[in-house]
Amino acid sequence: MTADSTLPSDMAPQLNSRAATRAQGVRRFKWTVLSPLIALMVFILLPAFVLQGYFSFFSFSIFDAGDDTSFLSYFRASEWVGLDLWKDALTDDKFGFAIIRSLLFAVGVTVGCFVIGFALALLMYRPFRGQGFYYIFFILPMLTVPIVIAYTGEMILYQNGPLNDIIGMVTGTRSDAQFLYKQEVALTTIAAMEIWNWTPFSFIIMMAGLASLPKEPQEAAQILGASKWRIFWEVQLPLLRPVILLALILRFLESMAEFPKTWGLLQGGPGSATETIPVYIFITAWQFFDISYGAVLSYLVLFMMMAIVMSAIWLLRREKKSLDAMYETKPQEG
Amino acid sequence: MFEKIKWSELSRREALKAGTAAAAVGAATPMMSGTAFAGTEEDSIVAAAKKAVPGGQDLTGLMWGLYSSGAKPVMDDFAGLTNIKISKLQDISAFEIPQRAMAEALSKSPEFDFFHVDTNMIPSLASAGLLEPLDDYMAAANFKVNAVGDFGKFLTYKGKTYGITTDGNVHTQFIRKDLFENPDERKAFADKHGKEMAWPETWEDDLELMKFFHRPEQDLWGSANLRDRGSSVAWWYMYLYSAGGFPFTDDMEPNIDNDAGEYAFKTYLDVKEVSHPEASGWGTPQMIPRIINGNAFSCQYWDGIIALAENPSKSKTSGMWSYGPVPGSKFSGKLIKRSISTPNVGVLVNRHSPRKEAMAYMALFMGTAENSARIVGDPANTFHDPWHVDHFKPGSLPEKVYTKGGMDAIKQNLQIVTPPIFLTGLLEFETELKRNLSEMYAGDKTAKKAASDTSEAWARSIRRIGKRRLRDELETYKSLFPSIDVPS
Repeated sequence: MTADSTLPSDMAPQLNSRAATRAQGVRRFKWTVLSPLIALMVFILLPAFVLQGYFSFFSFSIFDAGDDTSFLSYFRASEWVGLDLWKDALTDDKFGFAIIRSLLFAVGVTVGCFVIGFALALLMYRPFRGQGFYYIFFILPMLTVPIVIAYTGEMILYQNGPLNDIIGMVTGTRSDAQFLYKQEVALTTIAAMEIWNWTPFSFIIMMAGLASLPKEPQEAAQILGASKWRIFWEVQLPLLRPVILLALILRFLESMAEFPKTWGLLQGGPGSATETIPVYIFITAWQFFDISYGAVLSYLVLFMMMAIVMSAIWLLRREKKSLDAMYETKPQEG
Repeated sequence: MFEKIKWSELSRREALKAGTAAAAVGAATPMMSGTAFAGTEEDSIVAAAKKAVPGGQDLTGLMWGLYSSGAKPVMDDFAGLTNIKISKLQDISAFEIPQRAMAEALSKSPEFDFFHVDTNMIPSLASAGLLEPLDDYMAAANFKVNAVGDFGKFLTYKGKTYGITTDGNVHTQFIRKDLFENPDERKAFADKHGKEMAWPETWEDDLELMKFFHRPEQDLWGSANLRDRGSSVAWWYMYLYSAGGFPFTDDMEPNIDNDAGEYAFKTYLDVKEVSHPEASGWGTPQMIPRIINGNAFSCQYWDGIIALAENPSKSKTSGMWSYGPVPGSKFSGKLIKRSISTPNVGVLVNRHSPRKEAMAYMALFMGTAENSARIVGDPANTFHDPWHVDHFKPGSLPEKVYTKGGMDAIKQNLQIVTPPIFLTGLLEFETELKRNLSEMYAGDKTAKKAASDTSEAWARSIRRIGKRRLRDELETYKSLFPSIDVPS
């Protein structure tokens, strides 16, 4: 039953016109908000995509554009190569390993950030004395510039550094662990720094999620005598599923793009142990100056990330639907 | 290039402005403290600069702070004399500037007037159209680059001069004199090896000595040579060149998947045995303190570290080092010694800059005998190293900082100095080489595999850059090599 059908018939047109005005206002607001983004897409991102697409089929050499100062020199210095670069990229072992490293890194970091962030949020979401202080304290790492974390990490983690000293003091034996320059552990070390850096992000999202949970189901479960664990497992966690998914997706995407710490500390080494996707593309585009191949790699990564994002959106929608369905379920009569 | 002034086009305001500036400069010059340019070198550069840019100009560039502090007094003097001044510097590491300069070349940007960068990038940057040739400015100012031996050629490409060096980097052999000359150590060495301890002539001799003094339990490591992915490639060049190898054939094919190439990779790897376990991640910021704090027996290192190591206020090992020519190799059948100059840092002028004339003259001013000696001889900022003929004259300013023994060693190494790959695409070639050296050092592949993988990757880079272009440049690259095998 709609509101209109309950009102006298002479009031209906007045309400319809008000609704139309409101709809118009909403539409205007949407366009106002979206316009800058659309402009950004059309005037900046789209030309970049188009140019990148062009240079993925035309091999460009910076050294052939040297004497020509016009912007057309970029096109004059390009040569049609068709799908050659795409074929090269799809059979490029180094790129393949870079993808595997990035995926491993991102999965590890996402899980690490989420578990710690969620645990901290559970400890913190109910008001207590000094909550503000702890809140600021926990989000501090996120406010630190990643490259600073890289250099600070290096000072702490090198073999004669304070961490080994602390381990030595605690265990009573000299610790000579190499956290950075052993290829078996280098990526894990960077992942640990990334977790430290970005756990606050997961913490904030989960805090917001926990704070926005409806209190009624929790109180009802409490009255019915459910234990804290059961309330968490059977009430809070199901309601938090979309938030959890969002926290995981955002952190995963961010981790795939991690560059400052990896590059600042190890430049892809030791060996190629930390040559992740961003590092490999950086080396290709800005050390080899192979702009065309870099464009192909970027496109492939874009496709891969789009597939991941689409799957994530599908999952989020599914979660939202099941949650909506849960709220809309009416108690059975009788 | 030099337009004549058309007096009819000069406005009264401009004429007055120029006149005022000239008057101010004229008045200020005698008041400048501690700087009196007696020589004609500086005078003619200043005159040419004033003629070309009468009102002066504000300049900007990319320069590492560790370098700019040593060069600042000279830049300030030029500003006082010509009103051409550096008003803004972007301070980034010399190791990052090559990439930044290439990015500037790609965007054809006029933002920076100069790049203080490795002059071995000249072929790449000139090919990418970024560099202004300096020959016309040098002719106008009657200026010549007066470097030791053929070192001045390192600033040229296809017959044109593209840079003025401020830092004549050359690798020099460092050996701990206190240990090397210790009678007990000498006896122990003789007992163990059946021969007297002697200055290392070959890489194998060097390794033998480093092994003998490798004492991790005393925090003393045989070698302080770099083995990181950033700049340790310098050592590989010395190994390859001294083995009689050259990276490319005359037809511009990779020439390292062979015995000499494998020797270079293997010699690089052999030093791992006497290196700190974390050496694969250590660049100069980590290694230099270990050298001057006495945690290493020997190394081949940039000559600027002599000045630092001999500075008692900064070094615990002042007076404890001997310096000399780097070791060589008898791999080719005769002893060949080859040192390396990378990065050989100098001022390169941006061709796209509207202020390039002003910048070119400032660069020349920094390269005169007197001014370069002031830059190199700065006792506090020791990043600029000797290169000018006059720096090696007895009693020179640089000699006071680098010591007599240090200067002799630098001169010896300059006689056998070589460049890295002096071709368009240096960064591309080196990036792949660094990757393979690093993978080999980490244990992922053998020396033979590293040589063949690098060779394969180089073949791709050659195809991409253009074989014909590179073949044309080979002659310049080869012309930079010394004619003698062992320094006198």
